[in-house]
Amino acid sequence: MADIRGVKVRFSHARLTSKLSIVLFGLVLVFSARAQGGPPPGGGGGGGGPGGGIGLPLNFLQADKDYKFPDDITKYTATDFLMLVRRTDIRSSFYKSDMSATISMVTVSPDRGTQTFKQQIFRRDKDDAFLMITLEPESRKGQGMLRVDNNMWRYDPTSRKFTHTTLKDTYENSTVTNNDFRRWQRSIDYSVEKLSTGMLGNYKVIIGELKANNDEVPFPYIKMYIESERKIVLKVEEYSLSMKLLRTAYYTQYVQIGDSFVPTVQIFQDGLIPEKRSQVTYTNISTKPLPDYYFTKEYLERVSQ
Amino acid sequence: MRLIHLKLAARNVRRQPHRTIALGGAVAFSALVMALISGFVNGMDLAVQDNVTLYSGGHVLVSGYTASWSGRLQNRFADDAVANIVEGTGGGIRTVSPLAQSRATVVFGTREIQLTLRGVDWSKDQLYHDSLILTRGDWKGLEGARTMLMSAQTADRFGLAVGDQVVVRLTTASGQQNVTDYKVAAIYDDGAAGGMNTAFVAFGDLAADLNMKSNEQQAIAVFLKNSTDAEKAAQSIVAALSAKGFTVSRGSSTGAGASNAGSPNAGSSDAAASGAAATQDSSITAPAFQGAGAWGAQQGANRRLAPGTAVYRISTVQELAGEIGSALGSIRWIGYAVFLLMLIVSATGISNSYRMVLLERTKEIGMLRCIGYKKKDVFSSFIAEGILLAGGAALVGILLALPIGFGIGLIPFNPHGDFGAALVRGHLRFAPTAGQLLLILVFVTIVAIAAVFLPARKAAEVVPVEALRKTA
Repeated sequence: MADIRGVKVRFSHARLTSKLSIVLFGLVLVFSARAQGGPPPGGGGGGGGPGGGIGLPLNFLQADKDYKFPDDITKYTATDFLMLVRRTDIRSSFYKSDMSATISMVTVSPDRGTQTFKQQIFRRDKDDAFLMITLEPESRKGQGMLRVDNNMWRYDPTSRKFTHTTLKDTYENSTVTNNDFRRWQRSIDYSVEKLSTGMLGNYKVIIGELKANNDEVPFPYIKMYIESERKIVLKVEEYSLSMKLLRTAYYTQYVQIGDSFVPTVQIFQDGLIPEKRSQVTYTNISTKPLPDYYFTKEYLERVSQ
Repeated sequence: MRLIHLKLAARNVRRQPHRTIALGGAVAFSALVMALISGFVNGMDLAVQDNVTLYSGGHVLVSGYTASWSGRLQNRFADDAVANIVEGTGGGIRTVSPLAQSRATVVFGTREIQLTLRGVDWSKDQLYHDSLILTRGDWKGLEGARTMLMSAQTADRFGLAVGDQVVVRLTTASGQQNVTDYKVAAIYDDGAAGGMNTAFVAFGDLAADLNMKSNEQQAIAVFLKNSTDAEKAAQSIVAALSAKGFTVSRGSSTGAGASNAGSPNAGSSDAAASGAAATQDSSITAPAFQGAGAWGAQQGANRRLAPGTAVYRISTVQELAGEIGSALGSIRWIGYAVFLLMLIVSATGISNSYRMVLLERTKEIGMLRCIGYKKKDVFSSFIAEGILLAGGAALVGILLALPIGFGIGLIPFNPHGDFGAALVRGHLRFAPTAGQLLLILVFVTIVAIAAVFLPARKAAEVVPVEALRKTA
């Protein structure tokens, strides 16, 4: 009898330990998620959940699937437009696969003239990670950029040193920022202030004026021109805190790969010096899975040699 | 050593003028070179400190960083108590003024340039009013709203004149892009300010551009009566702030000064000189701040800080000048090495010459010994001769270095070159100290004594009868 009681006590202890372990494991998960940057304000839940990714709200991908957009573009509400922005965010990114591509970049500046660059990019959008290696010009060959775990580094093969960089830094003093190589997530960073409709060339567009959700988003205000028919972004104007136009991005060509619509030709024009502009062209796009070690400093170091 | 020994030594020095000139010339040249190197390195040291004071805005900087809602450290703080505590740390302080700074892109037409933009409270400023020379415009013009004081180099490059409007693009304290306009109200001679190309605006205007609240600032600049008291003042400030419970760390950072535009450990091409950070990032996470001593060690494990947490970093002009100062230290050591080589060559020459002298004067020494000169008298005469020759030559070398040094100081150099920060108004400053010159004199004399020692001892050992017999 005593033995049975002893077994029961041990069993209840084991169950308690098991429950405690689950609670502890849950806590570890929560704190791990927070340690990785946590959710953006207004983003709802934490990142890393099912269907989400680093920095993405819970159900970010799921909520988009069943959303019914109004047929008449004049009937769009702020919620509809934000969902439309979310759709463009999702469709321009690769959450279900990895992505690699070759990037050709031409920059024109009154000071520096015309410069051309060629890079190879490897992206894992669900983790908000990317690795980019410069192939041309020869003088910059092997230079690389790595974004992983909300950190970003630039690597110089000559000095063999990593330097910390940020998404809002410009790439080679051009009108392109490091953020332009990353997945889109405007629907997380901004909320809709004003809506209107209009024509952009031959396309009917919904024009949304958006305001940043917090004071750490580089561009406090943006104006998005989204073609209603295909639900793709054609133009984005980025404004400063003083509401001066800083940059205009044109997405002139798209390619459909699976469920994604990738803007393969992107033009960025400076708002203060209109003669300063850059064109970024994506070619050789592949969605084959990439090994995890691609998104490590060691690999960047090795591949840069 | 008696007067007779000195008289005899002086007679001997005069007796062979060619040899004296050759030996003395070598010693004098060594002393001259060393005096010049010491004087110029000293002058450059002082110039660097003066220029870095201009670049950084004060002799001691108290930079504040506050964790934002996301836990990222932003270069801003809003605690009036800090300014009061700093002001209350005692004597030696001339002014305590708020500072704001940003790495900005200034656009004029289709041209753009990246430079440091500093917000200065003109009503409290003494440093820039005393140090900068305005070539165009005047200080009164800077009292107007949204006016800018620009360096002549930048103005010339842009073809800017007083009254022109420029567009300024910068990153706010929290990291957002902002664009504003300024009118050029005055232009200063950057050649007279160590080649600095910082542009100055009113503190209130820049604070507004950086989207800071009216009670916020990025740093407090402490301008002392004497820059050499900076370390003492910094220690007092650290002690006073720590006593009141503030988290304080010591040491310079390349992003020191008040830079919204960078992490405290971010590098910059002109940061060493200007104390300005170059990166566009406006906020930092805790690990980037780990260099901050105990605080860093304590917080290193945490990725982010609790919102509202403020930390302070205190740096002095000497720390900010450290990088250039270490370059000057290298020059100083190269100077010492050259001086040492020259001394060895001179000492060998002196030693050999006195061996010859010994042979030449063997009969004379024998005669002197016969008429009552003792061994130690002979020895002392030789040593006295060495002291007179080397000491006199070193003195001449040092005296010659003074007009040469001040003469070189009149030659204009490019203030925008590599050593621009070590120049004063485009000129090298020659500032030898009496102690250093005395040290050179004493050192040269000691080396001369050491060189003459062996020949002097041999001379003292000469046996009079033998000497007379051999040379008869």
